[in-house]
Amino acid sequence: MTLLARNAYSLLSRRGLASAAASAPKATTSRLKTFKIYRWNPDKPAEKPQLKAYQVDLNNCGPMILDALLKIKNEQDATLTFRRSCREGICGSCAMNIGGRNTLACLCRIDQDESKQTKIYPLPHMYIVKDLVPDLTNFYQQYKSIKPYLHRKDYPADGKEILQSIDDRKKLDGLYECILCACCSTSCPSYWWNQEEYLGPAVLMQAYRWLIDSRDQATKMRQSMLENSMSLYRCHTIMNCTKTCPKGLNPGRSIAEIKKQLAL
Amino acid sequence: MMLSRTGFAPLNRSLGLVSRRTFQSSAKRCLTIPFLPVLPQKPGGVVGTPNDPYVPPPVSKMEGPIHWWIEKTFAVATLPLAATALIAGPLSTTYDSVFSVALLGYCYMEFHSCITDYIPKRVYGKFHNYALYLLGGGSLISLLGIYKLESEGEGITGLIHSLWTGKTTSKEVTESSK
Repeated sequence: MTLLARNAYSLLSRRGLASAAASAPKATTSRLKTFKIYRWNPDKPAEKPQLKAYQVDLNNCGPMILDALLKIKNEQDATLTFRRSCREGICGSCAMNIGGRNTLACLCRIDQDESKQTKIYPLPHMYIVKDLVPDLTNFYQQYKSIKPYLHRKDYPADGKEILQSIDDRKKLDGLYECILCACCSTSCPSYWWNQEEYLGPAVLMQAYRWLIDSRDQATKMRQSMLENSMSLYRCHTIMNCTKTCPKGLNPGRSIAEIKKQLAL
Repeated sequence: MMLSRTGFAPLNRSLGLVSRRTFQSSAKRCLTIPFLPVLPQKPGGVVGTPNDPYVPPPVSKMEGPIHWWIEKTFAVATLPLAATALIAGPLSTTYDSVFSVALLGYCYMEFHSCITDYIPKRVYGKFHNYALYLLGGGSLISLLGIYKLESEGEGITGLIHSLWTGKTTSKEVTESSK
């Protein structure tokens, strides 16, 4: 009981402190940081895209880039367009190029040095629908083409689930976590040149995820789909994909594993 | 153009009247080779309806794992051959021939890869084939050159060696001097 009371007290006191901290800076100076954001409006297609500067008071803003974007949209410019949904790095909607690196706005901290500008662009080398919204139709078409679901000829006779050993399940770790935010694919120079035909790291990692799933029986079909010069072999192990992945996954390794599986 | 000026841009887009400016892409032009004509491309690379899956190119045995093996074999074989030639200097004609052919094979595979990357059939059409013919022709001429070097001169190692020494040594010269 005393423990509970102490916990409740500490919670209250902390909340009290937090609100005091939040209200205090209003009296002091504001820390204005400049965000330069790519703007392009499809309703005025003749106007060139431009970088528009917005100033945000860091003392009155959450810690992440997405907080700043929402603040700009709410308070300064309602026409600023971007995708966002879960604000915790699980939906992959807010993928964009922040300070030269593809990442999720909701997982990217604002650089607290207000003397430096932060530049925000949409994902590079994509067709832009508006402002920070890229057209991902081609990306999803490619994902659909690898048939990302279980293929089996026969199912267990008892009608229950298809069993998998613990070791086989472990093989999927580091692959199934991918949220298809397209950060890796759009950071790949090879994908920039040939995105109409090269599948790109994100989709290839998912292809590998189904290739090594012990429950899947369509390995031959999945492998033969990649046996051409464009789909898989445009990967030149540049490894931008692994460097940029906001979830810390390794698509470069998956592609190498597919190449190994096909060659041996 | 008239429609977009009068504020009918959405209608304009749905009618597909302005095909070029419906999507904004950031400076895609810099990737095209200036003097080669380019085929028209689908906006956003989207073929068919948005719900259609991407259709991969047909299965090609020579462009799959076999191609990968050839590429890696040349790459891995060239490395010790080049290192030995660099350290030990001009060796036997057989060794030098193997080294030259491996080097040529490696160059051919990598230039082939460059053409697939930067002059793709999707964008340049028949110019992709012309580039491949040019590469094939050039490689054949190089093969003849290697034969000439190996049969008449000191081979590729000797040729590079002579760049430093400044002496052109050929078999006839050495034989006559004997």
